[in-house]
Amino acid sequence: MRKLSITALALGAALLCTPLAQAANARLLETGSSLLYPLMNLWVADYQKGHGVQITTQSTGSGTGISQAISGVAQIGASDAYMSDGQMKGTPMLNIPLAISAQQINYNLPGLNNTHLHLSGPVIAGIYSGQIKFWDDAKIKALNKNFASKLPHHEIVAVHRSDGSGDTFIFSQYLSFSTPSWKNGPGYGTTISWPSVSNAVGANGNPGMVQTCQSTKYCIAYIGVSFLNETNKAGLGYAALLNRSGNFVLPTAATISAAAKALGSKTPRDERISLVFAPGAQSYPIINYEYAIVNPKQADPSTRAALKEFLSWTVDAKGGQQERFLSSVHFLPLPAAIVKLSKAQIDKIE
Amino acid sequence: MIQRPSRLQRPNAQIALGGLTGIAALTSVLIIVLMLVFLAIYAYPAIRFNGLGFFSGTIWNIGNQYGSGSVTRNGFSAEPGAVFGAVVFIFGSVATSSLAMIIAVPFSIMVAMALVYRVHPRIRPIANALVELMAGVPSVVYGLWGMVVLVPLIARLPGAGSGNGLLAATIILALMVTPIMVATIRDVVLAQSATIFEASMALGGTSWQAVTRAVLPSVRGGVVASVLLAFGRALGETMAVLMVCGSAINSLPQNIYQPVNTIAAVIVSQLESALTDSSGMAQRSLAELAVVLFLITLAVNIIARVALHGADRSEGQ
Repeated sequence: MRKLSITALALGAALLCTPLAQAANARLLETGSSLLYPLMNLWVADYQKGHGVQITTQSTGSGTGISQAISGVAQIGASDAYMSDGQMKGTPMLNIPLAISAQQINYNLPGLNNTHLHLSGPVIAGIYSGQIKFWDDAKIKALNKNFASKLPHHEIVAVHRSDGSGDTFIFSQYLSFSTPSWKNGPGYGTTISWPSVSNAVGANGNPGMVQTCQSTKYCIAYIGVSFLNETNKAGLGYAALLNRSGNFVLPTAATISAAAKALGSKTPRDERISLVFAPGAQSYPIINYEYAIVNPKQADPSTRAALKEFLSWTVDAKGGQQERFLSSVHFLPLPAAIVKLSKAQIDKIE
Repeated sequence: MIQRPSRLQRPNAQIALGGLTGIAALTSVLIIVLMLVFLAIYAYPAIRFNGLGFFSGTIWNIGNQYGSGSVTRNGFSAEPGAVFGAVVFIFGSVATSSLAMIIAVPFSIMVAMALVYRVHPRIRPIANALVELMAGVPSVVYGLWGMVVLVPLIARLPGAGSGNGLLAATIILALMVTPIMVATIRDVVLAQSATIFEASMALGGTSWQAVTRAVLPSVRGGVVASVLLAFGRALGETMAVLMVCGSAINSLPQNIYQPVNTIAAVIVSQLESALTDSSGMAQRSLAELAVVLFLITLAVNIIARVALHGADRSEGQ
């Protein structure tokens, strides 16, 4: 009798452990967006404590995230940009939003770094296309009547990303949606053909942008909001941007949330949608979903189980969506309706 | 007693040894040829799509990935708006390498001559070792030094912008090719008899006259060859240049402070972006750039070999 009960217990324990054992020694590779990277590190550090899976994170840029997820090198390709139709035709992938992030426009103007300059899409497009060369240009002065006299007569150093970047994607979308000449010119994408501008510099990754702008006076750069603490520490200023309704807004939880609410309901089932230049009096114009680009066909069962478990945890209100993860990177949690859509896509992984 | 030929002198062994070395030589040539052929085959769609505009255009645009439709040229298509012009990169490679050589060659010749004729015999082994050490430092280390030390230094100059640009790339390349040239020229000079220098001094010349009028002309071929080899190395230098050049796209530098880009550096920095091009034309255009660089460095190396061969023949007199 005792032998039987012990055997039964052992069998039961073995059966219970099997699904856990499947995920126990799985390895996941996440690579891509430098904007999502700080949050991904916070998530992984916490998640690995309670789960027996080894997740490696890399900050390589959204372009690499997409291409390595497509090629199968990485299970999770982190990207601020959703895939294009052409890319989806080649390999259908899941674009799963994990959080809502934003981007600020930083600058390094001695004496003006603790004020928030007013900038608009057309003005920034003018700077990055070489039409506006100096910080005291009439168009910049017109938006900043309070500081017009303090703007220096110095050439603007426009810094852009040289790697395939989701930050470039949402930045160029802001310029495309607000400025017809930019839309018909460089357009938007993770890689665009930057107009030839004297003194323009390329940098790699968000950390590269911070470093370059910090060491280059009179620079202007587009940097992800997860690096806002770093840019503040580096003494860089950030701009209040003109939104679609004509107001100048800073990237705060309220303004990002307003933009997300305005466009979130239009999110389609495959969740590929731009949240840039959203309507609304308080909407911040450069916000986006942070995507996990995932191949729905995962051959290895233990990897598949680990992947689904981790992704489900990241979009869960009691998991990755908690305030303690998102607040330090200035991200916002996904609205409940979007969480439902994301979970539906995660279920499609087989 | 008749001497029996040793094992190695027997006819079969000769043939086998000849065969093995022949195969080894053939393999090394074959590898290079095959690399070029496969690269060219992969780049063929881009070669047709880009045509001669590749060598005259300054715009590098992988096209609108999020647009609809496509653009087709000569039967090959890419995303709308795609155009690949390599002038910026070809100019950058040639300009940075040439300027680096202009700085490095006189300096290297003088250092080599000093090492052979001036440096105290006790210090000579240390100096030689230091030169060889410099030649062995990995290029990424030079690049990091450039990023952290050189670029901020250049940024302090008036009108210099961020410091990343033609000047920084040129200085880094000059630093990298100098040890190689010094070592090679020193060896060439040492291989020549010391008598040329001694004879010139005995005739009453100063050491400067001895070096410039007697020694240098006698090693001219070897010096030219080492300069060309160093030039070839500078053309292909990737990592160090990538870290300090400023990664210019679509613009040629207007002065020495402005950002540049070289073929090698742009292939690295644009590769990940090119992989997002669903038409594949961006990757193939990068492969076309690689073919161009391959051919340029091949030509430089062939000229160097011919110069060396010519030098060997003339110096035997």
